[in-house]
Parts: sequence; C-alpha cells; structure tokens
Amino acid sequence: MAEKTYLQAISDGLRQEMRRDQRVFCLGEDVGVYGGAFKVTLGFQEEFGPWRVLDTPLSETAIVAGATGAAIMGMRPVAEMQFADFVSCAWDHLVTVAAKQRWRVGTPVPIVLRLPSGGGFSGGPFHSQNPESSFAHIPGLKCVCPATPEDAKGLLISAIEDPNPVLYFEHKHLYRRIKGEVPDERYTTPIGKARIHQEGEDVSVITWGAMVYTAAEAAKQLDDLSVEIVDLRSIMPWDKEAVLASARKTSKVLVLHEDTRSGGFGGEIAATIGEEAFEDLDAPVKRIAAPDTPVPFSPVLEKAFIPQVDDVVAGLRELAEY
Amino acid sequence: MATGTAVDVVMPQMGVSVSEGTITKWLKQVGEEIEADESLLEISTDKVDTEVPSPATGVVSEILVQEGETVEVGTLLARVGGEVGASAPAPDAASPPPEPATQAAADAANAAASEGVEVADATEQPLAAPTETTGDSGSAGNGKAFVSPVVARIASEHGIDPSQVEGTGRGGRVTKKDILAFVEGGGAAPEAPPARAPSGQAEAPTPAPPQAAPTPAPAPPKPAPQPVAAAGEPAPGETFEPVTAMRRGIAEHMRRSLDTSAHVTSAIEVDMSKVVAIRAKLKKEYEAAYGVNPTYLSFIARATVETLRDYPWVNGELRGDRIVTRNFVNLGFAVELADGKGLIVPVVRNAETLNLLGLAKSVADVARRARDKQLTPDDVSGGTFTITNPGGYGTFHGTPVISQPQAAILGTYAIVKRPWVITDENGVDAIAIRSIMNLTLTYDHRLIDGALAGRFLRDLRERLQSWGEKDY
Amino acid sequence: MAIARVAEPSGSLQDAKEWGLDREDLLQMYRNMLVTRGVEERGHILYRQGKIPGSFYTGRGNEASAVGVATAMGPDDVGTPLHRDMGVHITRGVEPWRIFAQYMGRADGPTRGKDGNVHMADHRLGLIAMVSHLPAMLPVAVGCALAFRIREEKRVAVGWFGEGAAARGDAHEGMNFAGVRRLPVVFICDNNQWAYSTPTHLGYAVEHLADRAAAYGFEGVVVDGTDVLAVYRETKRAIEKAREGGGPTLIESQTLRMEGHAVHDDAFYVPKELFERWAERDPIERLRTWLRDNVDMSDDEEDEITSYVKKLLNDALHRAEESPLPEVSTLTEGVYATPEDLDTPHHK
Repeated sequence: MAEKTYLQAISDGLRQEMRRDQRVFCLGEDVGVYGGAFKVTLGFQEEFGPWRVLDTPLSETAIVAGATGAAIMGMRPVAEMQFADFVSCAWDHLVTVAAKQRWRVGTPVPIVLRLPSGGGFSGGPFHSQNPESSFAHIPGLKCVCPATPEDAKGLLISAIEDPNPVLYFEHKHLYRRIKGEVPDERYTTPIGKARIHQEGEDVSVITWGAMVYTAAEAAKQLDDLSVEIVDLRSIMPWDKEAVLASARKTSKVLVLHEDTRSGGFGGEIAATIGEEAFEDLDAPVKRIAAPDTPVPFSPVLEKAFIPQVDDVVAGLRELAEY
Repeated sequence: MATGTAVDVVMPQMGVSVSEGTITKWLKQVGEEIEADESLLEISTDKVDTEVPSPATGVVSEILVQEGETVEVGTLLARVGGEVGASAPAPDAASPPPEPATQAAADAANAAASEGVEVADATEQPLAAPTETTGDSGSAGNGKAFVSPVVARIASEHGIDPSQVEGTGRGGRVTKKDILAFVEGGGAAPEAPPARAPSGQAEAPTPAPPQAAPTPAPAPPKPAPQPVAAAGEPAPGETFEPVTAMRRGIAEHMRRSLDTSAHVTSAIEVDMSKVVAIRAKLKKEYEAAYGVNPTYLSFIARATVETLRDYPWVNGELRGDRIVTRNFVNLGFAVELADGKGLIVPVVRNAETLNLLGLAKSVADVARRARDKQLTPDDVSGGTFTITNPGGYGTFHGTPVISQPQAAILGTYAIVKRPWVITDENGVDAIAIRSIMNLTLTYDHRLIDGALAGRFLRDLRERLQSWGEKDY
Repeated sequence: MAIARVAEPSGSLQDAKEWGLDREDLLQMYRNMLVTRGVEERGHILYRQGKIPGSFYTGRGNEASAVGVATAMGPDDVGTPLHRDMGVHITRGVEPWRIFAQYMGRADGPTRGKDGNVHMADHRLGLIAMVSHLPAMLPVAVGCALAFRIREEKRVAVGWFGEGAAARGDAHEGMNFAGVRRLPVVFICDNNQWAYSTPTHLGYAVEHLADRAAAYGFEGVVVDGTDVLAVYRETKRAIEKAREGGGPTLIESQTLRMEGHAVHDDAFYVPKELFERWAERDPIERLRTWLRDNVDMSDDEEDEITSYVKKLLNDALHRAEESPLPEVSTLTEGVYATPEDLDTPHHK
C-alpha cells in the first residue's frame, strides 16, 4: 500500500495487467514513445515493446475498429482516445460494431477505451467534455467513471477483465490533484457497485467522477447538515439499489454531474427515484448539472459552466429547508 | 412443396418501407394447375413490379383478391391445393406460421369471448386504489397543507393527522423530521394503526394484519420506517406464476356471474339404460360410416334441445327489464383446455337444426378446435344455454356457474350401474341393475322458479329414459 | 492514369495446379458457386412468397469473386464478408438451411432472428458478421490482422468493401493503418459498378480503386471478378504474401451487380446493354465451360452436381421451415457478454 496519484493508479493497474496477461496491449495516438498525452503509459514501450504499446496514426476509427477486430481474435486491447471528446470520430465502431456484436451473433468484444474527460482548465469545447451519458444510452456498452485512485486501479482491471466493450472515463482534473492509498497487489473493483463516499442522515448527493470532491467540499461547509455522498463509480450498469437505499434513508436527494443537464444521466437517476421511492420522498429530487451549452474556454465562463462548490451548497440548503 | 391441402398465397413485402401492393394480373385462374415457383400473379408496389411465384404445386383453389385491388402486405390473396372453392382456412405446414402476437391476441380474444367478456375487460389492469392520506392532502390553502409522499406514508402508518403536527419546512410544511419527532414524542393516536395497502395494489376486501406488530408511540428514532414488503415477493415455500389473460377472464366472469344471477341448483336421477343400449349399437355404425363417436353428451344435448323448446325461459335471458326468448338454441359446451389450465365454451349454433349425428359431429368438432386453439371469436359467442360435463371424472353432483347472460346451465355426471327399484308390467316392484346418471340444472332464480326447473328436468329425464331406436 | 497491376485472365489446368488447385477443388468451386446462386434464388422466391420479412439482397454476378477469394483463404484465416458475398459463407461451410432460417427470422439462423438477411456470420468458421454501415468492417479486419501480427501468427484477415463504401473514411483509416504497420490483411473491393443507383464516376475519380493502394504503400491489383480462377490466383498470391510478412494488398474485383440493390429495386437506371454484355460473362457459365474444356467435366458429373445442389437446397428449405420462431424472451438476452462467452476458438 502506498499513496499514489489518480494517474499513477491508472498507470499501475494497466502495467500490472500487461505484465500478467500477454493478451493485454495498448494502442492509441502518442501512447508509445511519448508515453501518452497525459503520460499514463510513460515507460511502457521500453518494457513491453512497440507491438504491445502501439503508436497509431491519427485515426480514432482505426483505433477503435482495430481494437474490436483484435478483441474478436482473442486479444484484450486497451485503446486510448487522446481526449474523450475525440471518441465522436469512433462513434460508429463503438455503437454499431462493438456494442451490438454480442447480441446479434454471440461474439463478445472485450475492449477497454480509456477516455480522458472533464474540464476545469480551459480546455474549451473539444478537450473538456463528459460524454458518458451518450454511451450509457447504448445497450451493450459499459461506462465506468472512477473518482479515487483506489477505484481507478480496481475499475481499470475490472474493465480489462470484462467481456464487454467498457468505456473508462478518467477525469483529467483528478489525474495529479487527487492522491490516495492504493494497494500494491492486483485487485478488482466491481463494475456496477456504488461506494458511499461519506455517510449522512439529512440529504443524499448522488454523483460520480470529479463531482464527488465538489460535493464533499460543499458538505464540509454545511456543518449543521448531515450529507450522504454516493459515488456511483459506474453509470452503466449503475447501482440502483444503493441510490434507492440512500434516497429512502434521507428522503431528500440531489443528483449532481458535470455533464450537461438535458438528457444527462442524472435524469435517469431522478426518474428512477421518482418511480421506485416516491413514498419515501420528503422533497422533489433536485438536479445540479452543467447548462445545455458546449464547454466554454474563458475561465469565467467555464466556472459558470461546471457546477461549483457554491452551487452545491445552495442546492443542499434548498433541499434542507424544503 | 407439392401438397394436397391448401397453401396460402400472401401479398409479399417488396422492401422494408412497402406496406401494400396492387394485384395487376392473375396469371392463373381458379381450377387451373400450377407448379411450385411458377408465376401465379403479377403485383405492383411503390418500389417495384414483380411476379409472385406459387408456393406449392396444385390446383388454384381460391382467388380472394381481384385484379386492380390494393391490399396490405401479408393479406391472403389465393390458395393453391385443397378443394376448389373451399372456404374454411386450412392451416398447413407450408404456409407461413401466424405471427405470435396475432396468435396470442386471438387466444386472449377467445378466452375472453368464451366467458362473454369484452376483450378490453380481460386485458384491463385493475386500478390501484389511491391511498387516503394522499387524497386528503393539499386541500387547505395555508401553505402548510402540502404533505410530501414520505410524510403521508408515516402519517398513515401511525394514524396521525399531519395537520396536528408543527411544521418547520418551507412555509410551515410538515417535514419527515417533524412527523418523526411527533411520533417519538407520543403524539400518535393511541389506537392500532390501520394496515397499509401495499402500493400499487387494490385494497384487499378484508384488511390483512400488519406485517409488523402494531406499535403505538414511541417509535424507534431511526432508521426511518421501511416500506411494507412488496406484495410481489412469494413467502418461503410459495411459488408465483403469472395470471394468463384467459385465467383473468375466467376469474372475472365467474365472480360477475355469481354477483349477477341468483344461483339455485336442482338435481334429478336418470335411468340411462336405453341410451346405453342404443349407443352401443349406433357406435359401430357411426364410427364406420361417419368417423364420429356418438357420445352420451350428444344424446343429452339432443334431448336438451328438444326439451328447451317447451321451456323457452330456460333458453332465455333476463336483459334489463325484458325477458328474452328465442326460436333457436345456440348450445355451449364447456371444454377443458389441453394444458388443463383453463376452459373455453365453444358454441354449436342452431343446435335445433341438428339431429343426433349432426350434434355428435359438431360437438366433436368444436371440442377438437378448442383444444387445438383454433376457435374464432364467433365460435365462442352467442350461446343461449350451456352444458357442462364434469362426469368424466366420476363426479355425481355439482353446482356449476351460469355462463352470463344465460339463464341456466345443465350439469351431466358419471353414468354408474346401481341397484334400482323398478316396477314390472304386472305392477310388481323388483330390484334391477340399471345405468343411472345424475343431471343438475343450475338456474337463475330471478327468472326461473324451482317448479319450472323441476318440470324441465322431469321432461328431460323422460326423453332420455324413453329413447327409442328410431329417435335421432 | 492507372497504377494498379491488371491481372491476366485464368489460363490452363496447369496454371490452376500451380496455384494449388486439383480437379476436385475445381469441381468444388463450381459446386459452391451453384449453391451460392441457388440459395439466393430460393431466397428471392421465398421473399416474393412473403416468407421472408424485411429487405432481401442478392449477389448475383459476384459468385466467382466471393468463392474465388474464400477458396484462397486458409482454414485459420478470418474474414468480414458483406451482403454480396454469400459465396464466402458457403465456401467456409455455413449450411444453407441455417441461411434460410436466418432469412426467415427463425431461431436456428446464425443470429437467431435478432438480425436479418446476410447480416450474419459463424465465428467458428472464421467469419465476423457485417453491419450495415459500410465499410465499417474493413478496419475491423485490420484489427484482426493486428492481433495476428502481435502474436506473430501466420494468419491473414480478409476485409471486404464495395466501390461505394470506398468513399468513406473508415476505408482510408483501415488501409492506412494496415499499410503503416504492414499488417497481414487483404482488402477485397467488390466493384460492381453501382452503389444503389450511383454509378462509379459519381463515386470516385481515379481510374481503378486499386490505384489507391499505392497511396497506402502496398500493391493494388485489378482482376476480372467473373473469372473465378483469376480471382483465386490473385487472392492466393496476396494472402501468401501477407502470411509471409509482405503486408497488405488491395484487390479490386470487377463485376456488374446483375440485380437491383435489393430485390425491391428493379435497377431501371442501369443501361440494358450493360446487363446484356455482362450476362455473356456469367461467372458460373464461364467456369462450367472452362471445366468442360480443361478438365473434361462430363455430362454425368454435371448432372450429379446439379442434382446434389437441388437436393441440398430442397432439404435445407424444409429444415429451415421447421425451425421455430425465436422465443420473445430471447429479445433481452445477450446484450452483455458473460465471461463464458469468451470461450470461443478465437479466444483460446
């Protein structure tokens, strides 16, 4: 056990799996010699060689489709999109080929797509997005969004082990800012099981990714309020039971995400609470999410876009006083 | 693919977006020979004009859609093989199988219709009863009256009037914390709390005992009360299976019948010895000549139809403030389904026009089609009187439920040999071995009195006991 | 300006032998082409009889191309055939009755009613099911080749696309990646001259699509797609080159789509004379003549093959019609794979 950054945890998990399982290889733009745009695979090519740490042309389609073909042939590809935003170029191969192959013809496609996502550093409209809800809507795909270093490693290993296409959203804002104890040995974190980030009695926050920390900071500022924070860890599949249990416990729920509001996955969560825990609610389920715009560049605009601690404090107060 | 039985020719789907086609020309007419895959007709669609090849070798037996007509994809256009001019559909292995949805719908319709229920009724879900507390909420306009779902539930569980609780929420609303504090402080009504109907379920006729022991105040401070276990979970040792549309239809109809008619049952013993003897003779003849078994049921049906002529009310109906009588008898027969999980009542129409042979054939036919699920909605509607025959299992008595809106139902039971007191020509009593059967008539006392029912049964017995060799 | 090599037509029996075909192989290719056309003809009849829902596509005119390529593939090679390539499924051993069951949406089709027409594959036979988004399977074939290269296996992937799909980005990305890494993949472009109703001059501006291969750093070959032995020879050459580490080849197989895009399309936009000219080069008739001239295929042999095919298809049709419709409960099954699903030949 040692303290590691979120980024080191991802890197360690991937390296451990590549050492353990010859079928695992990674591919993507600049992942080899350069070590990846965020240096997740730094030093990998020296250790595993150019055919297991594969620099590809600037070709998201070829990366995802290539990973798909290799997976069907028995490999365990871990492909990197340089930024999650660029996955749109490979939409067809994820959604049309990889997601449907198992259901149509029984051929599993065990690929992992690493997607550096999220904003907070003036990345602008094409380097800051959180597109997870678009893919959570596609039957056949799984979407995981770790928040802690420990989960980042455990979920990556689970994703590699999983027989399905798994989109692994790694939040760029957490890469080097978040540190935590990470076990040295190999372990898995189950996909589809939430984690209670902190227990509370009065209000529940349901969230994932970087927003876990925004929620925790907001809760800290409200000493008179006992806030429970549920970190979903994966949104497809998502841990409905954990969410409903928390909703039944506190009767007041805030759903928080960095993705834009309309059609965001928070809507699915709120609707499910309304359907299945209606008689336990003491206030309407509240959502805090980014407004329905592209991600802006200028810091002042971006601050207005990404939900801030103050927004969450206000939302929690409103629920408490309801 | 050559076949002796008729094979359907249907309008093909020429392209995903195409929904209909027009017959431009029949290349063969009824009565002409055709080879499998030889062109039978020409069609025209939005996308393409094409020929339709015959699915079978044989004679074109029917053409159902004429040139120039436009019909939907899947419409039956013609039949090849079978008898020329045959009108009864002849399902065949070579014809496309019916779509499951259609078959299921037909089954449901049959099931519902057999019980005289509208199809819509059979599929309608019972509406959930709204909980009283929710219904009462929001009536006052003081800003305090809105009761949130969880507060409503806690109030209901503890028999509390939320308006008696001090509210600390926005505008004085009673929050969950407020009502829990109220409960803790002993503010709850002392009487046992009423059982809460599980959400989404209609209220049970008699309240079920509460799952947890009724505990008046104080309640434990936390955790918050959990909802009562959903009714959707079987108890240990129990198994749930879904209620089919047919079972729901039967259940609804049986209940409604008992709620509608004043059911009374009368029984009579019938000496069937003559019928037994005559049937034994006829059986060989009918089976050889007509391939049909003259069952006891067909004898009873024949005698019943004759007797009903003299008792029009028994074949009648109480419709509002009118009494309906008829000059025909549509005779229903209760038939158990092959899987033993339901019954259906196919109807032999105009049974008064059929002799013994005709009835035997008709009964065999509807029973077979009922078991093979080939009945059409017409086959199971319009009955005026019903016979049910549980005697096959040896039962000697029963009180069947009337098929609404009819006035009566006849039950027939096992024929058993019994020692029977008879009086010979010289007026001397003696004990003989006779084949005896019980008959019951369950009738709606709103329309039929006991004396009328008794006379009907007496006449029916007389007909059966005096069955002559020439009676058909 | 043409860059690609234009392949010479098929020659004598001696040539065929040189490329590894004996007399029985040649008769088997003929048989496979007849079964291919027969399956599609029967399917077309079933469609017009209303027994096949949805759309129906055939590959009439493409039988030599599909059978020629598939015959050149080795048992451990894999491929992603498309909707004109029924001959690949037949040659790889997919039983016709399962194809009919697939057409009719029955439980015994390779997709068990979940997908229709030629959207199928039996992965046990080294085939990967196509999607409608052409040429999405081309870079997937490249990925298969990538796996072979990483594991240093002597296996080859074959990816198909049409001249219409050649306009899409995936074709470029797949071929570029394969060229850069010299992957063991062979690209087959079924150039049947019509992308639905769009003619070639509205689809691309080079003389031959195979000319593009030079831009990706590998060889391009143009072959007459109605000449099964020439197709076989060129594919065999390309596959063996790829197997030995020589990198990809793009083979453009020229045919004419002899029917509409699907059977609801009467192809009015194709000039009649074009159909007439290409009908004279019917691939099956060409092979039949060649077999009679070069390997003395007798009347008896021909009859035997014809009746074998007829019986095979009749039996297949009966068996398919006995196949049940899928249980509705299967609809929601298999959206996600389980670890047991990974127990396939490819994954061992």
